[in-house]
Amino acid sequence: MFFLHELEETIPLHPSYFDKDMSVYISNELHRLVEGKNHGHFFTICVMDSFEVSEARVLPGTGMAEFTVHYRAIVWRPFRGEVCDGVVNNVLPSGFFVQVGPLLCFVSRSAIPSEIKFDGNATPPQFTDNADQVIESGTHIRIKLTGIRSEVQDMFAIATIKEDYLGPLMQ
Amino acid sequence: MRLNTPPGLKYPLTVTKVLVKEGDEIPQNGPLFTYRYRAILREQYNRDTGVYEDKEADFYTDFESEVEGSVKRVHISKDQVIKAVTAVAEIEEPCKHEVQFAGMCANCGKDMNEVTYSTTRNNTERAKINTVHGNTKLLVSQDQANHEDNEAKRRLIKSRKLSLVVDLDQTIIHATVDPTVAEWQEDEENPNHAAVKDVRKFQLVDDGPGGRGTWYYIKLRPGLKEFLQLIAQDYELHIYTMATRAYAEEIAKLIDPDRKLFANRILSRDENGSMSSKTLKRLFPVDTKMVVIIDDRGDVWSWSPNLVKVSAYDFFVGIGDINSSFLPKRPELEARPAKPSKVEAEKTADTDGPIASSSEAKSDETVKPSRSTTPTSTPPTTNGDVTAVDRMMSMAGNQDEGSMKEKSEEQDETIAAQQKDRPLQQMQKKLEDAEKEAQASPAVEAASELLAGNGEHEGEAGDGSITPPSPKYRHNLLQDDDNELQHLGESLHSIHDHYFAEYDKVNVAPQGDRIAKLRPGHGKKRPIDEVETIPDAAVVMADLKASVLAGVHLVFSGVVPLGVDIHSHDLSVWARSFGATISENIGKKTTHLIASPDRRTAKVRQAMKKRGRVEVVNQNWLYACFSQWKRVGVEPYRIHSETAANGKGHALPGGFESRDFPLSSSDEESTNTMTEDEGDGAKTPTGLPTGQPVIGKSQLEINTEIASDTGDEEWAMFSPTVKREDSSAGEQQDGGDWALIADELEAWDSEEGGDSDSESVRTEMAGLSNGTATPEKGEKKREHDVAFAGEVVEGGGEGEGSKLQKRKREALTRTTSLTNVVRLAAVEPKLVVEEPNGESKVAVPEPAPEDEDEDDDLEAALAAELQADADAEEA
Repeated sequence: MFFLHELEETIPLHPSYFDKDMSVYISNELHRLVEGKNHGHFFTICVMDSFEVSEARVLPGTGMAEFTVHYRAIVWRPFRGEVCDGVVNNVLPSGFFVQVGPLLCFVSRSAIPSEIKFDGNATPPQFTDNADQVIESGTHIRIKLTGIRSEVQDMFAIATIKEDYLGPLMQ
Repeated sequence: MRLNTPPGLKYPLTVTKVLVKEGDEIPQNGPLFTYRYRAILREQYNRDTGVYEDKEADFYTDFESEVEGSVKRVHISKDQVIKAVTAVAEIEEPCKHEVQFAGMCANCGKDMNEVTYSTTRNNTERAKINTVHGNTKLLVSQDQANHEDNEAKRRLIKSRKLSLVVDLDQTIIHATVDPTVAEWQEDEENPNHAAVKDVRKFQLVDDGPGGRGTWYYIKLRPGLKEFLQLIAQDYELHIYTMATRAYAEEIAKLIDPDRKLFANRILSRDENGSMSSKTLKRLFPVDTKMVVIIDDRGDVWSWSPNLVKVSAYDFFVGIGDINSSFLPKRPELEARPAKPSKVEAEKTADTDGPIASSSEAKSDETVKPSRSTTPTSTPPTTNGDVTAVDRMMSMAGNQDEGSMKEKSEEQDETIAAQQKDRPLQQMQKKLEDAEKEAQASPAVEAASELLAGNGEHEGEAGDGSITPPSPKYRHNLLQDDDNELQHLGESLHSIHDHYFAEYDKVNVAPQGDRIAKLRPGHGKKRPIDEVETIPDAAVVMADLKASVLAGVHLVFSGVVPLGVDIHSHDLSVWARSFGATISENIGKKTTHLIASPDRRTAKVRQAMKKRGRVEVVNQNWLYACFSQWKRVGVEPYRIHSETAANGKGHALPGGFESRDFPLSSSDEESTNTMTEDEGDGAKTPTGLPTGQPVIGKSQLEINTEIASDTGDEEWAMFSPTVKREDSSAGEQQDGGDWALIADELEAWDSEEGGDSDSESVRTEMAGLSNGTATPEKGEKKREHDVAFAGEVVEGGGEGEGSKLQKRKREALTRTTSLTNVVRLAAVEPKLVVEEPNGESKVAVPEPAPEDEDEDDDLEAALAAELQADADAEEA
């Protein structure tokens, strides 16, 4: 689910940037540092604005200045039970992987309707019900997350397509 | 899941109440039963004595289930005393967590890393097997792996395919980051343009030093596309490389743009788990019965029996494998500039200056060129300079973080250095400089001519090294003439055919009778059996390979570096896998001596003495056998036979041959016809008379030898050979031997007391003419044989007709003496007995010496009969 979230980030700045455009540098640095990054439980999608930049604090020894920036950003936090759209990127006999933006999900065979079967002889390998549903690398698919786990700087999810209205999207 | 009482409890326990019954649902950490145990209660205040003392007391507590699920069975009852670890209940779990992804169960989505106070076995322990190519986070349990494996096998059998694990670097492609390649591609004037014009390139941005994109130049091995298309019909292809994921993906895009061949079956260093070795367990954790590997390095696979080792593809000379920093050192990479190919050798020779080259030109043997000037001999596939221990050390040890980082940096450095130093450009420059020098020096020209000649042989051999096919060889560094893949394709195809032939043999019969009693109920069981009874590809391959060099006894000389155990050297391991036997010294059984062409070692000399029985060949012969999976003819690989190979030029002034009759006057012709006859003789043993066939045949070979490679000085040099050997017909290879035999016969005649006049006269003659007569005798015999066999000799070589006829006439005039000799052979048991042995040794180039032996027996029998006839006639 997407949220507009208020966050805080500490940004160090090199002394060579201490000039009239300093706020621009800070803002650029903020975008570079946080956009698209994982923060444990959510991904920062886009920084809206940085509404408060603290006084600089010069770090002893290096001369770098440190700013604490409060900013508003659109973040995506996947929840268990959330339905999202993604792209299949790898098909295996035991299931397939779906990339939902930055989140890698695995759909196990047990979470695939029984009529959709693995066909290893197809090139590339695919899951298919021998009708209009074909799941292969590159297929757009709608999945429901059933488990989420975050590691340092990374998140993984388990998903299912064994429910109504889930599965490959008809183009 | 079966629940046991943990070992840490205070046994004995007395069950006081069972809280669940079969069929109940139980949550995690839900109580199963209550029990009582006795323990010591410490430091209780005793009112009577007024002191604190320990006291025994009863305690009551619950036993809780560590998993949720429905209770399937309860093994305990009220008031039961549990004295040790006991199974108390069986719980059927709703999910066994058999497939786990990134620490979650892929089926139920639960976190597998959760641990509670009652957990005895971590959930992550249940699924530990990694079966997937592109991801290390997906793990499955043993059961699941078995299941998947069976399914995969069934699918493969149905489509009649095997799995083929393909290595990238130096097996099917060769990569470099040297930007010189791009320049050469642009420059149509460049002599290397033709070779590099189809080199592909791609850029990896986040790879390489400094984050700048690095351009990789990829040369596909010639015929790769056709090769892949062809083997894809027989095999399901997997990529297994020690390069990074990104690199592997790019290569896959190049060699398989529509992803039809490899699909997603790509395994790279990032997912391998080990940085220094490859193992089939990573991809095929259950069994490897249907797997074949092709790789240019055997050591990283620990010489897996499923491996088909390929000659390394070394197109960009001197670059090696850019992705091998993590692998154990491949010693010839260091040695590479010195010996891998002729172009290389030429280059190094040239750096030594024109003097070295010219001396090399003049001398085939007299001057021993330094190690670095070794031409033509060694394709870069040996791995000898590391001992087994070193290799184990480098493979097993040093995998800690620090050294990994170090190696990673090392790789970056290598790449940076290659980009900066442009080794190819430098080499080409040297080559051109050398060319200029060469024009000034005719001797070098001669050398290069010689080298070019050798190079052609190499080309035929298809040993994967770079050879100069065109007269432009001096100018262009890079050569594009590798035909390894063609042979490899054939080998793989034959493995596939043999495998499924075997499969059909095993499976058709039992299926047949099962069909008779097949009921719908049986249907389920059959495919499982099918999968269980499949043959093992490793065994099929071992059989195929073992027949290649079966009966070949090898001795190495000047090939394996000093101080390295011959038996653990790569070349020797490889040769053994093809059925050859390796020994350290030349012995009775030795058939081939693998020698280095630039040194005449003691072993070479020893082998020369046994000329005809021991073939002296260079390593390329072995490589050709390895790559083609058949025993190729030794002819193009023979070495140290220069004096005779140059044949007529020598003219053999005072030699026997010049004095000798038809034989020496037509060296080449006799060689031709003889080899033909030899074939005939082998095919139709029945036609051969008496004890002669063996002698005759051996002599045929001898003559071939004489004609092709024995110089007269060698005759003289080697004539006094060991007596015992001389008495064996099969070992009579030199003219000198023949002289000895003649002597022996003479001696023996006198012993027999002039049994027959004509005989003694004849042998005397032989003795006098000192070996010259004996070859002639051989000639006659051959003619005789041929006549018996009803073969028309002239049919083989019309041109030599007149000469042959002449010889034939001569032969016919001497029939008596011939039969006499034969009888002598029969009379002397030693001769006859040893013949088969000798013969088997001589008949090296023939594929099956054992058969030959049998033939010999047959021949001997027939010979006896025929001889009887002949005797009768004579009488």
